Amino acid sequence: MAAVQSDATDEMLMVRYQRGERAAFAELLRRHNRPVYNFVRRLLGAPAVAEDVTQDVFMRLVQNAAEFKHEARFATWLYTIARNLCIDQLRRASHRRHASLDHPVACDDGQALGEIVADASGRASVERTAVSAEVRSSIVKAVESLSEEQREVFLLREVGNLPFKDIADITGVGENTVKSRMRYALDHLREALHDFEEYARALR
Amino acid sequence: MDCEKFDRIVLDELYGELDELTSAAAKRHKEHCARCASIDAELQATREVGVLELFEPPDGMYERILQAERDTTRGLPLRKRLGRAVSILAGYAMRPQLAMAALLLLMIGSSLLFLRTQPGDHDHVSVTERGVPESESDPVTVVKKADSPSVLPHAAAHASARTDDSAARVLRAGAEPKPDPALAAEPKSAASANADGLTGPDTDPDTVADGDTAYDAAMAAYRDGRYSEAEQRFAEVANRGGNRAASAALYAAQARRMLGGCPSAGPRFEEVHARYAGTPASSEAAWQAADCYRSLGDVARARQNYQELLTDSSYKGRAESALAELDEHNSATELTPRKAAKSAPATAAAPPPTQSPAKPKAGEASP
Repeated sequence: MAAVQSDATDEMLMVRYQRGERAAFAELLRRHNRPVYNFVRRLLGAPAVAEDVTQDVFMRLVQNAAEFKHEARFATWLYTIARNLCIDQLRRASHRRHASLDHPVACDDGQALGEIVADASGRASVERTAVSAEVRSSIVKAVESLSEEQREVFLLREVGNLPFKDIADITGVGENTVKSRMRYALDHLREALHDFEEYARALR
Repeated sequence: MDCEKFDRIVLDELYGELDELTSAAAKRHKEHCARCASIDAELQATREVGVLELFEPPDGMYERILQAERDTTRGLPLRKRLGRAVSILAGYAMRPQLAMAALLLLMIGSSLLFLRTQPGDHDHVSVTERGVPESESDPVTVVKKADSPSVLPHAAAHASARTDDSAARVLRAGAEPKPDPALAAEPKSAASANADGLTGPDTDPDTVADGDTAYDAAMAAYRDGRYSEAEQRFAEVANRGGNRAASAALYAAQARRMLGGCPSAGPRFEEVHARYAGTPASSEAAWQAADCYRSLGDVARARQNYQELLTDSSYKGRAESALAELDEHNSATELTPRKAAKSAPATAAAPPPTQSPAKPKAGEASP
């Protein structure tokens, strides 16, 4: 497989993949499989389901590659696919709301999601090792307790790193509504982390 | 910026989506507003602390997706494959370099279209348009070219122009007119005409050969200024007949004009005109006769000849001009004192012998 320039934009890579360059797809997958997987997993909760859905997301991309327009933003297109598949999955599983931390999800070892996140020796990679397990647990709980609409906005912004305008395009609501949901999610998170104010100040 | 506006943009500021100007305004506002500064600080702290951990994708997921991509691509339906091919082609077609190349090719093509050579026979154009010597034309060529209506009038017009020019030169010189050196081209032209098979199909080759020789000899004498000999030789060629007879008769009349001027040449021209009616030589003879009558002051006969030439498309324009000049001249003459006209001898109306005869126009009958 031919090498691909790492500084090429996602859109350039997608156009090259449309022309049959498989290496471009490999590069796109390398860049986005982790955040997409996290977005899906945070929305669906179950790791095994999240893996299948993530694979489906990229297969949809392959099947509909010809429909991608160069003017469009690749990340917006990708997360739109991911969000739609997650909604389908939630409907199929009759889970209108995300699995609660109080209920065990389909993890391999039967642990609750909060326990997995809070467990410092778990499989989740810890980006900030200095953050205590308690803080992480509180974050996860706060995110899990958000409504579906607020959570997807929060995840698209924090995990997908998408601007508010693109999130508005993905979710099909106005940009102000997106910001309002994000503001609510952040306020909710702030309340959950209220006990760790000292810690937060120390970080600054 | 006020607090209300700050509330609207605080998230944009938090995630760095503000432009520089608005961001600077927000910072200035925070410096003076404790409330907004506090909100911003809390959101900043929440974001810094509330970082979600990212899960590592399961082992082998990357490879499995790549493998699935290969399988899926192989199994794509024809419609999607065609769509991909069209997408690839469109990607190349929309490249600016290709568009510029296409435009360049279009410009080159259109330039070639407009810069192509003009249609037509360049040989004829070069001979007639470039003013090759006056007497170069071959009488045989005249006859055959008469079949081509697009060539004959054109050449005749040029021949007429040369006639006027030659006459003007003779008048300016005030000396005995010399044969035009351009006549040197005549034998060559005649030979080439024969070589091209332009002689009549019913002409005896021997006769033609003899006629050509005699004609060439006559032309040589004419060129050397031996007008008497030329007149005799041309007359012989004319009497012998053939397709050069008309031209020879015309030359004989021209030689006569050189020898005796218009008084004796006029009737000869008339004779050629009547005898070879319908040929270019006949029309040219009529024109020369009219010229002679005009120079002799016989306006009525000159006018009659000009009027006859009105039926010939190649002479019509010039005949009309000549008639107009005659009318003007008549008007001017009527205004002059009658006694001047009476005192003038009949011959005085004619130009001096050295001036009156126009230079023989050997090429006039040439097409």
